[in-house]
Amino acid sequence: MSGPSALRKKRHSRLPALAQAGPVSVWMILFVTLPLLFIIYISFMTRGTFGGVVYEFSSASYETLLDATYFKVILKSFQVAVLTTVTCLLVGYPFAYYIARKPADVAARLIMLLMIPMWTSSLMRLNAWMLLFQTNGPVNNALMALGLVHSPVKFIYTDGLVLLGLITNFLPFAVLPMYSSIEKLQGNLLEASADLGARPAVTFFKVTLPLTFPGIFSAIILTFIPALGTYTITDMLGGGKVLYIGNIIKNQFGTIRNWPLGAALSVLLLLITALLIFIYSRFAKIEDMEVL
Amino acid sequence: MTASPNRRLRRQSCRKFLGDFYAVIIYAIFYIPVLVMMVFSFNNAKRNYAWEGFTTQWYGKLFSFGNHDLWESLAYSLAIAILATAISVVIGVLGGIGLKKFEFRGKKFINLMLYVPIVVPEIVLAVAMLIIFITVGVKLGIGTIVAGHCTFCIPYAVVTIKGRISGDNETLEEASMDLGANRFQTFWRVTIPSIMPGITSAAFLSFTLSFDDVVMSNMLAGASQSTLPVLILSVNRTGVTPDINALTTIMVLVMVAGMLTVNGIQRSLRRRELRAAEEAETARLNAARF
Amino acid sequence: MKKLLAAILTLAMALSLAACGGGNGGGQGGEGTGDGSGAGNTELNIFMWSDYMSDSLVANFEKEFGVKVNISYMNDNADSITKLTAGAGDGYDLIMTCDAYMESLIAGGYLEPLDLSQIPNSKNINQAYWSEENQGYCVPYLMNYIYVVYDTERCPIEITCYNDLINPALKGEIGSIDGARNLFPIALVALGYDPNSREESEIAEAYEWLVKYNENVAAYGSTETNMVNGTISVMFTYDGNTAEAMSAMGDNNTLVVAPFTSDPVQLGFDLYVIPKGAKHMDLAYKFLNYICDAQVMADNLVENPYSCPNDAAVAVASEDYRNAPAFNFGYKTNVFFQEDVGDAIAIYDKYFQMLKVG
Repeated sequence: MSGPSALRKKRHSRLPALAQAGPVSVWMILFVTLPLLFIIYISFMTRGTFGGVVYEFSSASYETLLDATYFKVILKSFQVAVLTTVTCLLVGYPFAYYIARKPADVAARLIMLLMIPMWTSSLMRLNAWMLLFQTNGPVNNALMALGLVHSPVKFIYTDGLVLLGLITNFLPFAVLPMYSSIEKLQGNLLEASADLGARPAVTFFKVTLPLTFPGIFSAIILTFIPALGTYTITDMLGGGKVLYIGNIIKNQFGTIRNWPLGAALSVLLLLITALLIFIYSRFAKIEDMEVL
Repeated sequence: MTASPNRRLRRQSCRKFLGDFYAVIIYAIFYIPVLVMMVFSFNNAKRNYAWEGFTTQWYGKLFSFGNHDLWESLAYSLAIAILATAISVVIGVLGGIGLKKFEFRGKKFINLMLYVPIVVPEIVLAVAMLIIFITVGVKLGIGTIVAGHCTFCIPYAVVTIKGRISGDNETLEEASMDLGANRFQTFWRVTIPSIMPGITSAAFLSFTLSFDDVVMSNMLAGASQSTLPVLILSVNRTGVTPDINALTTIMVLVMVAGMLTVNGIQRSLRRRELRAAEEAETARLNAARF
Repeated sequence: MKKLLAAILTLAMALSLAACGGGNGGGQGGEGTGDGSGAGNTELNIFMWSDYMSDSLVANFEKEFGVKVNISYMNDNADSITKLTAGAGDGYDLIMTCDAYMESLIAGGYLEPLDLSQIPNSKNINQAYWSEENQGYCVPYLMNYIYVVYDTERCPIEITCYNDLINPALKGEIGSIDGARNLFPIALVALGYDPNSREESEIAEAYEWLVKYNENVAAYGSTETNMVNGTISVMFTYDGNTAEAMSAMGDNNTLVVAPFTSDPVQLGFDLYVIPKGAKHMDLAYKFLNYICDAQVMADNLVENPYSCPNDAAVAVASEDYRNAPAFNFGYKTNVFFQEDVGDAIAIYDKYFQMLKVG
């Protein structure tokens, strides 16, 4: 192959890459990398007595992080995130499968139907759950009227209600990516598997699950990581008796006014997540996933 | 040993019933709070602490002359959500494909950056963006809020799109190019339709995230207007007033009605298409007969 | 390569232009402090709580002065602090904040000093509620007591001091507001210390007290909803929220403000400040003077029945307001204020986290 033509070919094939990956790269650098650098920078600065940041080097924030309290908080946040993610996957996968097997226009409507409640304020939805399950709320009144119980049942501020709140908040974020990858599964592939004598369970675990893994992985990312930083749901439905990492960071930027500590905690959260994804990608050996 | 057709049929209908039943339960869990919200829009109380009796006064208040606040916030939130969704989906679709398909220097870095807005608590990113915007001299307002929303919507869009793309997309694209389509045609006619469900999902996620956001909408807002979720959270200090429930009720009803209308239009269009095709077929047959 | 770079640059510029709403930015910061002139001076931008000022007050002000009032809403008391410290204050003309932050805001130089001669109606405000240091920088709007309320029918004991709140009989009965700087002061008072103590040993003791309190707490937040619905029988909350709960219970109201005998209660203020660099200072003055008018404020109290530092307004306020049980309790003057504790806030934060992490 002669030089010029090879060169032309090379230049020719760079344009689409630029057009496609360019905007996202620019956006990420402008609106994520820059703020992130700034966050890292202020995490090494000093807390201003009057709020804000005094631009003097200090490693005080990171020294504070060595306190055992933060370890406990992060552990608790992980518990919640894992529980939420696992439940969302277990509940969401069959549901995504159900939608994906419908004709395209029906599926679109079903998805729409799932999203409409999400377009009402999440705070209002949490309030609604609380009103429903209050001590003198409709559910308890109905139970008492039916003679099923004699005194009101304590639903409110139980772990069950918190989990319900978490699921109704995060499930769509698990269902949508799984739906879009299950939808792609070709029916004939499953038929082939069945024709070759595989039992439905075998087909599911040997064909369906591996082929839809990219969707499952997206679902994990989109539920686990946000659930890690969540606090409004646990505060409202759980009664605010337990602090999660999200609360603590929010407080540093709010009433406590310790921005450097808040920034340092965010950096820590970032490092832990990066480490997890890294370990996961090594462990699961998913070359196709391009996790990091 | 093969199952008799009858038994297979029975098993199939049983499975279908189980599937429908499961879906109904899931939808019920999602719609129960919405229904409670709607019921409480008729609550005869100043604030929604408990049910006090039936009234329609909150709808009256909502449509009264003095009450533009809620409507203005709703319009503002909608405008922001639509802009943020449009930008995020375009960048997300291009980016999802680009990051999956091409190798370039810094790709790993960009992939890593995509996780940052999902991991870092929103308030931290919001404060950092606020300070940067102010330092650079950008005027706070709808533009800064949209930029903030896009920043966390784009990663969701990219992740969703990437979950949809895999090897056979490339095969299809190559086939298309071999058949003489150019890159743009291939992208528009082959790639995009093949990942359409992913695009829909990304759009829904972006819209939902933007429309319900509080932190960015609050921190990056200019002085003249607040979004609906910010207003609601602000009212929540002493308890939500039922006129907000009334607004939410109307919103949900409008969306459901809109969905049904689109549905009906689609169906009648399809019917017309079918009829047209049938007519063409008869015409062809008739023509062939003579 | 050059083309590539140019393309990236164009894209970046297009994006950032799109991002700043037509690039209408920059360089406006220094303009027009004080007597801004001409057409630009017909808008007043306020940052405050939603549902906290009657619509008719705003409408009447707009009509009387021929201006447009834009109100944007805050979600948290700390919001205004974050905005001010980040340097975004100059977009507003009036910002609502609370007294606990005043010392920092003044010391940090985030506020415009006030010329009280431009707010003649400010004489209506009771000087007892308006400390000398703050007078030059803020005007109090409404105020809130943080006290204890209980249901006479359901609460197992009578409560007359903070120490009653750690009585094991109240297990799971208390609904409480949240936040380190709301909770620690009551523990410090109960133990006989300064509610704004900066001593770690005292704060640590207060922490031990709060551990017992925490065991009695059913939930932090949503106090009035939980009270009206019978989930709790005692609440540590704001008087405004109590008023709402009492009016929701109507004729069946069995809530009483706990008859405290000697412990002081916290009194806080929501007040207006003018941020440094505000562009419509004269309008801000007009507005502050307007809301300090006795009749205007009295009318405002109908829709927003909260404690008010404006004595003249209270005097002409409705009978209902003046007799509201939520504001009628015997120890209104036995109060303490939340002061800025400086760097000791980190100590509070540490013990607060320990309290809630266990």
